[in-house]
Amino acid sequence: MLFTRDPAGTVSASFEAVELGLLRLAASQLIELLLAAESHALGTGADPALTRLLPDAYPGDAEASAEFRRFTSGDLLERKLDNARVLLATLGEEPLDEIADEPVGPLVDDLFEVPATPIALDAPAVQSWLRTLTDLRLTLAERLEISPDGEQHLDADEAPLLSSIYEWLGMVQESLVYAIDR
Amino acid sequence: MPKTFEKSDLREAVSLDRPWVTIVWDDPVNLMSYVSYVFRSYFGVAPEEAERLMLRVHNSGRAVVATGNRESMERHVEAMHGFGLWATLSHEDS
Repeated sequence: MLFTRDPAGTVSASFEAVELGLLRLAASQLIELLLAAESHALGTGADPALTRLLPDAYPGDAEASAEFRRFTSGDLLERKLDNARVLLATLGEEPLDEIADEPVGPLVDDLFEVPATPIALDAPAVQSWLRTLTDLRLTLAERLEISPDGEQHLDADEAPLLSSIYEWLGMVQESLVYAIDR
Repeated sequence: MPKTFEKSDLREAVSLDRPWVTIVWDDPVNLMSYVSYVFRSYFGVAPEEAERLMLRVHNSGRAVVATGNRESMERHVEAMHGFGLWATLSHEDS
């Protein structure tokens, strides 16, 4: 997985099957979180990940922040949802449950034998990817209880896995930024 | 129409008197390369200026990235939230 840009401006990278599965799962969960947010009032008691995705615009002024959120959160959530859906669409359309119907043994073999899939992104798709990768990392950072100094404080069985997904998403994003930037 | 002009002139005078600022805060998540890219692509600043602003966010914990009337600053803050950056607006001018 390393993004490059061809002379025509198309940005592309090859993803292993496990990487595609990971991105698909993460983006699907982000969509669930955003959809749940659309149907609930944000503010005190909201999921901390959502509070980070839509932070207070007026520090120390809860009323003005609530007002700002009332006018902007609908559009912002809608755009974040669109971005995550664009990312999913660029990964291909195979639904997850079709794969799950296969016996487990062959599936595991397949994951490592299937050649890497090339993913090509046009300029709008690149923007959706950049923003969705950010939203995914912000959400994961909340789950990992990452403090302002960057330390992770989550003490749970899934912490090492979440942590490596978080780091990997950072690599994907860094690679994408460099591909469009240099 | 002249009345509209007067009104907007007045608002401009008030906002010049006490400008609003858009502040981007440091967070442990966003990559330095991405923050720099956002400043360049959204605010249209030169690469060196984007890099300077990004480093100020990183080293000082925050940086003023835009100054102007309240409406424009709210628009910038919303855009920054769209990019996933932690941005606020206020009357401060540090």
